[in-house]
Amino acid sequence: MSSPAFDPFEFELFRNSLLSVADEMALTVHRTTYSTVLRDNLDYSTAFFDGQGRMIAQGFSLPSHLGSIPTALGAVIERFKGDIHEGDVYALNDPFHGGMHLPDIFIFKPIFVDGELVAFAGTISHHTDVGGRVAGSNAPDSIEIYQEGVRIKPIRIYDRGVKNETFFEMLLMNVRVPDMVAGDIRAQLSACHVAEVAFTDLCRSYGVEKVKLLGEAMLDHSERMTRAEIAKLPDGVFAFEDYLDDDGIDVGKPIVLKVTVTKKGESILFDWTGSSPQVRGALNCTLSFTKSAAYCGLFSVMENRVPNNDGAFRAIDVVAPLGTITNCVHPASVAARGLTGFRMVDTVFGALAQMVPGKVTAAGDGGNTNISIGGYDKDRKPYIFCDFTCCAWGGRAFADGIDGNSHMFANMAGQSSEVIEAENPLFVECYELVGDRGGAGKFRGGAPYRRAYRFLGEEAVISIRSDRRDIKPYGLYGGYPGGVSQNIMTRAGGEPELYPAKFYNQIRKGDLFVHETAAGGGWGDPLEREPERVARDVLNQFVSPENARILYGVVTDGRTIDLPATEALRARIALERGWAEAPYALRDTPKAAAE
Amino acid sequence: MSDSKIRIGVDIGGTFTDISIMDAAGGIITKKVSSTPNNYARAIGEGLAAAFGENGLGGADVAELLHGTTVASNAILELKGARTGLITTKGFRDVLELRLLRMPRLYDLLWEKPPTLVDRHLRLEVDERIDARGNIVTPLNEADVVAVLDQLLAEKVEAISVCLLHSYVNDAHEKQIHDIIRRRAPEMVLSISSEVLPEIKEYERTSTTVINSYVKPVVGRYLNNLTADLKGIDIGAPLLLMQSNGGLTPAEVAAEMPVHIIESGPAAGVIGARVLARRAGFDKVISFDMGGTTAKAALVENGEVTRAEEYSVGGGIMIGSRLMSGAGYVLKVPAIDLAEVGAGGGSIIAIDAGGAPQVGPESAGSFPGPVCYDLGGTEPTVTDANVVLGYINPKHLAGGAVKLHADKSKAALTEKVAKPLGLSPERAAYGAHMVAAANMIRAIKAVSSERGRDPREFALVAFGGNGPLFAAGMARQLGMKRVIVPPSAGVFSSVGLLYSDVEYNLSRTYRQHTRSLDLPALVAAWNALETQATDKLAADGFRPDQIRLRRFAKLHYKGQAYELSVPVPDGAITERIAAQLEDAFGEEHERTYGHRAGPNEPVELVSLNLTASGELDTLRDGGADLAPATEAASERDAYFGPEHGWMATPVISRAHLVGRDWKGPVVIEEYDCTCVVPPGMTASLDTLGNIAIDVAG
Repeated sequence: MSSPAFDPFEFELFRNSLLSVADEMALTVHRTTYSTVLRDNLDYSTAFFDGQGRMIAQGFSLPSHLGSIPTALGAVIERFKGDIHEGDVYALNDPFHGGMHLPDIFIFKPIFVDGELVAFAGTISHHTDVGGRVAGSNAPDSIEIYQEGVRIKPIRIYDRGVKNETFFEMLLMNVRVPDMVAGDIRAQLSACHVAEVAFTDLCRSYGVEKVKLLGEAMLDHSERMTRAEIAKLPDGVFAFEDYLDDDGIDVGKPIVLKVTVTKKGESILFDWTGSSPQVRGALNCTLSFTKSAAYCGLFSVMENRVPNNDGAFRAIDVVAPLGTITNCVHPASVAARGLTGFRMVDTVFGALAQMVPGKVTAAGDGGNTNISIGGYDKDRKPYIFCDFTCCAWGGRAFADGIDGNSHMFANMAGQSSEVIEAENPLFVECYELVGDRGGAGKFRGGAPYRRAYRFLGEEAVISIRSDRRDIKPYGLYGGYPGGVSQNIMTRAGGEPELYPAKFYNQIRKGDLFVHETAAGGGWGDPLEREPERVARDVLNQFVSPENARILYGVVTDGRTIDLPATEALRARIALERGWAEAPYALRDTPKAAAE
Repeated sequence: MSDSKIRIGVDIGGTFTDISIMDAAGGIITKKVSSTPNNYARAIGEGLAAAFGENGLGGADVAELLHGTTVASNAILELKGARTGLITTKGFRDVLELRLLRMPRLYDLLWEKPPTLVDRHLRLEVDERIDARGNIVTPLNEADVVAVLDQLLAEKVEAISVCLLHSYVNDAHEKQIHDIIRRRAPEMVLSISSEVLPEIKEYERTSTTVINSYVKPVVGRYLNNLTADLKGIDIGAPLLLMQSNGGLTPAEVAAEMPVHIIESGPAAGVIGARVLARRAGFDKVISFDMGGTTAKAALVENGEVTRAEEYSVGGGIMIGSRLMSGAGYVLKVPAIDLAEVGAGGGSIIAIDAGGAPQVGPESAGSFPGPVCYDLGGTEPTVTDANVVLGYINPKHLAGGAVKLHADKSKAALTEKVAKPLGLSPERAAYGAHMVAAANMIRAIKAVSSERGRDPREFALVAFGGNGPLFAAGMARQLGMKRVIVPPSAGVFSSVGLLYSDVEYNLSRTYRQHTRSLDLPALVAAWNALETQATDKLAADGFRPDQIRLRRFAKLHYKGQAYELSVPVPDGAITERIAAQLEDAFGEEHERTYGHRAGPNEPVELVSLNLTASGELDTLRDGGADLAPATEAASERDAYFGPEHGWMATPVISRAHLVGRDWKGPVVIEEYDCTCVVPPGMTASLDTLGNIAIDVAG
């Protein structure tokens, strides 16, 4: 931490300044953006790199972007090395050239001080549309990258300060909401500009040479902190498998994700060998995204937060075999890979729950459902309603799963029903938590929500990406699994019909679409849940009196508890269930003794 | 409100209750007493009785009593509000519990949502529906209302909130429910969302309305106790309460709509800074208030305090980034925009696993407190660092009331920080002082540069027990030229109360494109707001010449989620003024974000806002007749970084500044705080008794 050039406090002061630059970038994007995806879902990140392209500071960041930005800048440098000039700006989105999926456009600006390249500012934003066959460019059922939208390999979009009009014209010609995309790119450019001004000031006050040494020290510091945190975790090899229902193309064919976590001393390895080969549907991940999932899982069990930079990532190894869903190759489709990311985090949690049982949750709702409804208004102007949303956490060793909270991998915000109605031809009939779904457990899994959208326009296209409809969110250490998700369509004048987890279809005036997320799995044997907690859930209609008896063995109407009857019932259920010890991970509810 | 009478400001904090008494000539007497948390009113009565006795005053001399209180926010933070029921639209009973699905911290599996203020079984639905344009889609089922009301009454709720979808555009159903409840339960505490907050976004509106119900009985009881206690010492003068927006409001109004006094506590200091700025001739100041556990910054520009649209009770401390919302309880009412960081005198200095020194956010609090208090604290704190540096008196604080043990500070800092880092104790203490300052600088940037304001154009007004210790050094780093430390800086919030106006903030959602404004409708909407505001102030006893109205409009580029507020000129709303809105918005956008969109980008008017103040016409401007110091200045060694090292530093009182300037380094010790003037700066006294530090020397 000390060096002849600076002392530890000077280091800390510099680090503080640089983090504040990265934060200011993030605030700039947030305040100037046009799209809901950025403003409510915060689906963007900002970062700051040294002149060699190593990430030294990250602003506010979506967990799923953790590993991606260094990879993207690496692709820019690989292509343009030696040809990078003051006033240049670079962009990319192609998953096979440094990107993740096409809606995520990366923008980088090199920063020069006295003619020397000293840093890069970088941002990644999820754009509302980048063209392709389905509005929103998120369709789960595309089968090759060419269907998913405009592909940008690393390209110079400003050349020594001169805008590459051709690029912008081509891009905006091919997207459905050009004003929004242009506005959001402007927000990204503003953020880079803010970083350039602030960082140049820092260089003036510290001197460029010292700034370089301090940047180096930030990487080392973060690596040391990360290794110290890893060292606190128990050594061992921990493997777990979790599943996606299917890819929406090969319907009914589960997709396995397998991770083996090997922890030894100050090192940790996440090995995805054994995961499914890449699939036909758009669920394939790049290695950078797979890394993000591993980082997110690990950071969640660390005692102290570590600064996100390349130093932290040096201490964490991730292996994913080429050609699998965890490290796909061209021309795989990738648009809906976010879902796989959520499942990868669930898989990592399943492994880490063996390493540190007290710290990890059972499976939650499995990550966000994407609902996109796109069409044209009366003036033939396109609109897109797009919502990414999740709800339920799994039960924890010390507390119930949270009802109504985003998945750890995304931390996205829900949208206001009133605003949805004010801005779209949609009428929201309900938005509410659903009882009797959260997995039973000593600590109950979180409740899912139900939201119903009635379409008021003439005709549009609806695209749904959801999961956990067939394979339930697992419970842990005797906790029962959570309930599955559902899509229900009631066509105008018709009867309710169950729809698949992933689909793409027409929606017409008066049609009602209802989505229910999956619920969280429980933690620990439900027979050990305090009867008072069960009664409270009954009072609040999270659990029905019937399920209180069947699943928890508690006889209650929510206000009073029949303790002798409860004791007898619990004994009978335990006997009939016949567990020698609580099973580690449950994907099916045991047949217990109902009266 | 006769000129011969005194005015009293009372500010209650968790530890101390501060009292300021302004006499008819504008002179100020201050008194600090311990708070009485089980009945905050008691400390006020007792403190006032003592102050009256010491100064030969009586309750009959009091013209008005101005009061800032944390009683409402405490009720929320401690979950000790009323048992509250909620009536809402069928299908939407969980709006309050779903919140925005976000959490304020990443990678935290221990995170718990704050418990909802209304339990799920007390949130009940009625069949009805109004759409986004205000059309009734499903008429209200009155039988439902009766049934859920009976259910809530059987549950013995003390208060009810009503929040229906889209009631901000059509309040017919909420009114119907209001009437039914009033008929069946005339005494029930009731909050109706279209009255509390007629604005779009159901979560924010529900949360705000529920908080109003939740704290209303608590605030009512508190004000009753307080009024009774005041009567006991013959004070029958009007009682005015500080609101979160920095304006005063009569106690009866606060009791009816307590949602506006939740963040009453920290607001008064900022208002004090605003008045001080005006009197001292500064257009632009940043207020900086640092106490034992947190530091707060706010911005005042051209006499206006920057206001935030919404904030969270219990979510105020910045956790790395202002983007991480989701903590606490959301309130969408205007409040002074405060940036708060977890840095105070009690913040602990430690070394992280990577070997870098950290200051806070862990705090030793008031117990055990810093090591130098010798009350069992073992971890070195920011106060300990300031003791080692010679900034704080090594023997005692508060004129001898608190004994300090400087040797214990030095031993702890040496062992826990200096040795592991291979530094001298003073170098480590100085480093910690600078890191604490850097944390607080982020709060100042949050209210200035992050909003497109250049802090170099602002003066820094420092107060709170620890503010003046850090202010000058921070100002230099930020390129600010002047620091002002007011008299009674340690109890400045209670002084600020004496300078406040009565104020109402009214708003309504009004979505329209700026190029297709319906002018007559717009004029009508403004007029309605103005009538409402002037009626309120007239009811409070203000004459028309005391009433000041300021109009603002909130706009955004269509599609943007966040609005910017621009002032609307006084006078009739004409085509020209309407047309200017778009331009004013573009300019503000450029100033705040560095760019504006092209002239064809559609701009949308989002809401109309009105700030209505009633200016109390009591004498406010006191002179500062400070007598020159009689005793000689003392001296001690203080450390000012590697550049200057240890320096023999004069230790003076404010009175020593009468008639002469002092070049830094100099330490100014007062009863309630200590002010450090580093080398290269000059301290002087202005005509109002403020210490003015010229940063450039």
